[in-house]
Amino acid sequence: MRVIVDGTPVTVAADSSLLDATRAAGAEVPSLCADPRLAPYGSCRTCMVSIEGTDGPVPACTTPAAEGGVVRTDDPVALRTARLALELIVGQLPVSALDQPPERSELVRACLELGIERSRFRGERAAERDDSHPYVEYDAALCIACARCVRICDELQGTFALAMVGRGADTVLAPGSGGPWSESDCVSCGACVDSCPSGALSEIGLSDPRPIERTTTTTCGYCGVGCTLDVHTRDGQVAAIRPNRAAPVNRGHACVKGRFAHGFVRSRDRLTTPLIRRDGALVETDWEDALGHVAVELRRIGDRYGPDAIAAISSARGTNEENYLMEKLMRVAIGTNNVDNCARICHAPSAAGLVASFGLSGGTNPFEDFDRAGVFLLCGSNPTEAHPVVGARIKQRVIAGAGLVVVDPRRTELADYADVHLRPRPGTNVAVFNGLAGVLIDEGYIDDPFIAARTEGFDALRELVADYSPQRVEEISGVSSSDLRRAAALYGGGDHRAIVWGLGVTEHAHGTDGVRALCNLATLTGSVGTADGCGANPLRGQNNVQGASDMGAMPDILPGYQSVADAEVASRFGDAWGIRIRPERGLRIPEMFDAAVDGRLKALIVFGEDIAQTDPDTAHVKAAIDACELVVSQEIFLSATASLADVVLPAAAFLEKDGTFTNFDRRVQRVRPALDPPGAARPDFEIIRDLGAELGTDLGCSTPAAAFAEMASLTPTFAGISHERLDRDGPIAWPCRSPDDPGERALYRERFETPSGRARLTTVPYAPPGEAPDREFPLLLVTGRRLEHYNAGTMTRRTRNLELVPEELLELHPDDACALGVGGGDRVRIASRRGEIAAIADVTDRVSPGQAFIGFHFPEAPANLLTSQHGDEVTSCPEYKVTAVRITLDG
Amino acid sequence: MPGRTVTELERRYGRRGADVLGALRDVVAATGRIEPADVDRIAAELRLPRAHVNGAASFYADLAPTPRGRRHVRVCAGTACFAASAGTHLDAVAVALGAPVGGVSEDGGVSVQPVHCLGYCYGGPAALDDEQPCAGADLIDQLTGGADPRDPEIPVAVAVEVPEPIVLAGVAGTGPEPWEVWEDIVRGGAHDRVSREVKASGLRGRGGAGFPAAVKWGSAAEAPGDGDRYLICNGDEGDPGSFVDRLLMERDPHRVLAGMGLAALAAGATRGIVYVRSEYPRARDALRTAVAEARAGGQLGADLFGTGTGFDVEVFEGAGSYVAGEETSLIHSIEGLRGEVAARPPYPTEHGYLHRPTVVNNVETLAAVPWIVARGGAAYAQLGVGGSRGTKVVCLNERFRNPGAYEVELGTPLRRIFEELGGGPRDGSVVRSIQVGGPLGGFVDARDLDTPLSFEALREIGADLGHGSLIVLDDRVDRAMLERHFWRFAASESCGTCAPCRLGTQRGLERTAGRGDPDAATAFEEMLEAMERGSLCAFGRSVPPVVRSIERVYGAAP
Repeated sequence: MRVIVDGTPVTVAADSSLLDATRAAGAEVPSLCADPRLAPYGSCRTCMVSIEGTDGPVPACTTPAAEGGVVRTDDPVALRTARLALELIVGQLPVSALDQPPERSELVRACLELGIERSRFRGERAAERDDSHPYVEYDAALCIACARCVRICDELQGTFALAMVGRGADTVLAPGSGGPWSESDCVSCGACVDSCPSGALSEIGLSDPRPIERTTTTTCGYCGVGCTLDVHTRDGQVAAIRPNRAAPVNRGHACVKGRFAHGFVRSRDRLTTPLIRRDGALVETDWEDALGHVAVELRRIGDRYGPDAIAAISSARGTNEENYLMEKLMRVAIGTNNVDNCARICHAPSAAGLVASFGLSGGTNPFEDFDRAGVFLLCGSNPTEAHPVVGARIKQRVIAGAGLVVVDPRRTELADYADVHLRPRPGTNVAVFNGLAGVLIDEGYIDDPFIAARTEGFDALRELVADYSPQRVEEISGVSSSDLRRAAALYGGGDHRAIVWGLGVTEHAHGTDGVRALCNLATLTGSVGTADGCGANPLRGQNNVQGASDMGAMPDILPGYQSVADAEVASRFGDAWGIRIRPERGLRIPEMFDAAVDGRLKALIVFGEDIAQTDPDTAHVKAAIDACELVVSQEIFLSATASLADVVLPAAAFLEKDGTFTNFDRRVQRVRPALDPPGAARPDFEIIRDLGAELGTDLGCSTPAAAFAEMASLTPTFAGISHERLDRDGPIAWPCRSPDDPGERALYRERFETPSGRARLTTVPYAPPGEAPDREFPLLLVTGRRLEHYNAGTMTRRTRNLELVPEELLELHPDDACALGVGGGDRVRIASRRGEIAAIADVTDRVSPGQAFIGFHFPEAPANLLTSQHGDEVTSCPEYKVTAVRITLDG
Repeated sequence: MPGRTVTELERRYGRRGADVLGALRDVVAATGRIEPADVDRIAAELRLPRAHVNGAASFYADLAPTPRGRRHVRVCAGTACFAASAGTHLDAVAVALGAPVGGVSEDGGVSVQPVHCLGYCYGGPAALDDEQPCAGADLIDQLTGGADPRDPEIPVAVAVEVPEPIVLAGVAGTGPEPWEVWEDIVRGGAHDRVSREVKASGLRGRGGAGFPAAVKWGSAAEAPGDGDRYLICNGDEGDPGSFVDRLLMERDPHRVLAGMGLAALAAGATRGIVYVRSEYPRARDALRTAVAEARAGGQLGADLFGTGTGFDVEVFEGAGSYVAGEETSLIHSIEGLRGEVAARPPYPTEHGYLHRPTVVNNVETLAAVPWIVARGGAAYAQLGVGGSRGTKVVCLNERFRNPGAYEVELGTPLRRIFEELGGGPRDGSVVRSIQVGGPLGGFVDARDLDTPLSFEALREIGADLGHGSLIVLDDRVDRAMLERHFWRFAASESCGTCAPCRLGTQRGLERTAGRGDPDAATAFEEMLEAMERGSLCAFGRSVPPVVRSIERVYGAAP
């Protein structure tokens, strides 16, 4: 559609407003109540323009553009109207409202654009500040009642925590039921603060008038969503972090972690100098001494016990380049395949299951496909807490009408929005998924032509799932047969079907089976590798779970999931690195602990993981650490693991790093340093490189960009990606095979990457979980993540998120609480076959009777003292989601 | 708009028929005020976000957090009652009852709330003592026990030019029965006959905007999408000066319901809602009774006359907001949200109640439909002038010699209404001005009485047909009093959504109270222009013309 703005013809999309047209023409039209992410509202009336042939000015934001429309932004009546509206608005605010720097206040910019220095009207209101929330500051005196905050909370975040109250001139924002902000339903995503045009909503770093010195665009280091953030810094500190509006993944949205929880980075207890254990105590030393000691010890141990007595745990928190360098260090400088990363303990089953079903180890479809999904099957995932930006997007889509089936023993927030909520007993996913497959087949929801043309294994699957009648599934899982049928009908009968899962599918004794059985549902319905389908996507737990594995920080693969056992691959890498790649698989993380306890492993390098808090069965992990002759911890804080290590190497946090992360939908995204590391701390990239040098090996890769380039030159699926290209074009999804390949956003449109080119329907029978309750330990404990904290809590507990959630809570069903004589707020002891911890009881029907839920963010309630060594029989991923426990009232 | 996604939420997850305002009103009735805990409870029960329930609670006059006494007296602050007492009754009531205007007596026994208006314009000043109407010059006595409460009937007449009463057919007791054509139309599936006849009749909306009724129904019928479609009868007759809707809802509710049914057939709607303002408790009760009777009589229900066609009506009670009479605001109100006006497009015919296609028609518009379908659109179209066809019920206030409701042909000169029907001013009253078309119509004087009563002609003299009321103001009311009265109305009823109206009405009120900033005086004309050009809805846009019409009739400000 063509519109003429101030004489300039512009072309705009069919559903554009006049405001869009003026923006396209580059005209300066203030619009205080407009945010491109929100439906137009038409409250401030500062965007008045004239249209030829219409009587009087119109607001540009709410007026649809029409073909051939002639718009003037300099119409005198329109400008007078806009100025007067703005003058009335300014007249209600304290004079100081216009003292803010223009770059931080749309209101001030609007006044500059319309030439208003002061208002002729005076109507200042008495209003109290609300500083009850740790991050959001609310000054009602500055509220201009544009309701952007309310609307963004509704329309983007979906929390509905805010509303305007009062009417007429008294109209003003109020959170919740009208009490303090901290008591509202706010989830601290910060969207309201970002959208507020007047400064009524602000945050400490931005209400400080001192100028921002530098803004660095980087990728969030919390969960696997991969939000692009703009990090504003001054005086070597983070002033504020704001989500990047142009980012393809988060589109200007973020969550309480990425947006606000950055205080840890300048926490006083950051590690700033290397530590070495002398006479039993960790003492400060310098890099030369620390690295020298590590090198000497590694050489000694290697010489004495062989290279396989040394292992490294690489980090899904680190960059791709660091992970590449770590696996290269182990294979080249040490000569072992004993390198693994913490994807092992979260999404290794996703990788294995996806490879088994479709061929590649990544989610099949891009995040933007969620926007067109007609139905979601969300399994074992609580994205509004663990992946908030994804959770918000799913919620909006569902509110707008998309179907939602939630499979989760716990009634998560999205379960409240679901059409069907299946609550299987923990550990029975495979039976439920097989049952769903059976109903899909029996009720005719399957895509026969797709199955015939593009899959294999259908007959065997049909035979298998015949044994999983809804009645039998009900017996195994507790999911009623009618709910199972409804869920199958909703998923099978929907269009643009999307399957999304999380750790509730993977962290089981049969996690890989669960992933495969779940992928079968997408395959049966033709929802993967097709134009219609929205595929099957795991929500990765950490920022670089995808990338750490992609980079080959695993005992059996090299970058790009190229097998060490493949002779062609081994010779390609061996030639490039000047060594021989050993064809046998090295140790997985749980096997490393076992090997250490057995005396086969003597040295362990732990990069950015707090194994003594986050890995299962802490007692066993500590025994492994004790048994090693050398434990090296690369850390940013003195974690539980670091405090047990022999050498602690102070590392950089993600805000201090250069490199790339790969998010849950396979997008490789740039990480750029916004700050220098404190003291003598160094990026892990340098630490690993320096350690290589101490060991006498030049790992090459002088910079992260060079490391990525070297990796890409050896890895066809990454061949087209480089730092230079990412800086120029933005995020790129792998596979990307050449510099002109845009990257495959949706996989398998032509063929699946299996040997036959067909998707495999796999037959996985149900088997019971590794851990079962009994009389002594009658309840099932599930562990998981909470919105405000992140994994070990190392970072988030060093921010004001601690004020939001100060301690660990154990969720317990009212029936069980009653039987145990436990009330909400009581302190309880939780014992498993391995250990005992204490926490505060939260009595809630969000958990099922007979089950309990706990986070693992607080060292005071270390849930992994309880969890077991049972693991996925394919990948060794721990069975975190099923622990038999006994709960008693403390004291 | 705020609430856009909440509406989606409500449509997808909300309790069917959840009445947020009703639940809040129950709290006020039981405890006198709404506490945060009440908001939390209601939000949880109705599955709505508590912030939005809180936002709604704070918006409506009936629910606002001003404390309530055990006895709650709503005193009409409308223009007719203002004219009747020359602006003295509100303070007098407050003094007599010992409670401040808008507040509660010290002992918590009684509270006084000004409202716009109670529809006793023909016999004010008026008040609702809890739900007992009291009206008349001796209002104070009625409220203090010195006289029995009086609820005077609305005097009604049909002007001779109208061959038979149309809208007032039932009230006057002649003409077709309300449900006369209903069964035939439903059984015959002759839904298009309704739109055809109404199209031929030239019927335009009587709520003020004058939009052709059949066109509106056609838009809703053609709007894409499955699911329910709604026909809402706008019984939020907030216009001080008008009481025709109250008259129809109280005395001939079946005609309103039958009109809704016919309109619904034409618009493809399956569900009807009558929105009755809380200031009209009798109308609410009469409609509820009529709905029950019509259900029992088979005129309303899921399966009408065995045809499979269904249409049923719910009665929804408002909570005190003038602007809620605007259609987008009214829809928000039924959804339990703040009665904020939304920018159009999208229009309710596509994106209305619960974002479904929705027609909002005024009571009087709908009450004309049964006659039009029974007698034919052509018969109706024979009456009227220019683009203003048919009849209009005009309402004359208490300052007339013969106050009441008169059905007249459109095009009738004001003078005839003023002199012959109204009989001119009552004894002892000297006419100073006449407000035509409600609070947002204009003030005219004797010079203008030869203007015909029509949409077009009234606009030409700076007035408006509006709801068709004529309010005589006598010389006891001077310009300053009138301006203050008007700006107070405007400031207290502005919904607050758009800046020019939200703030302009407040600054205007301060100016009439002498509290305006001297600087602001220089900006006053510009402010009026900005309100007129820049406001979101007709409310704010109409304020400046009213101010100018006062100036025209009363002379420029000193």
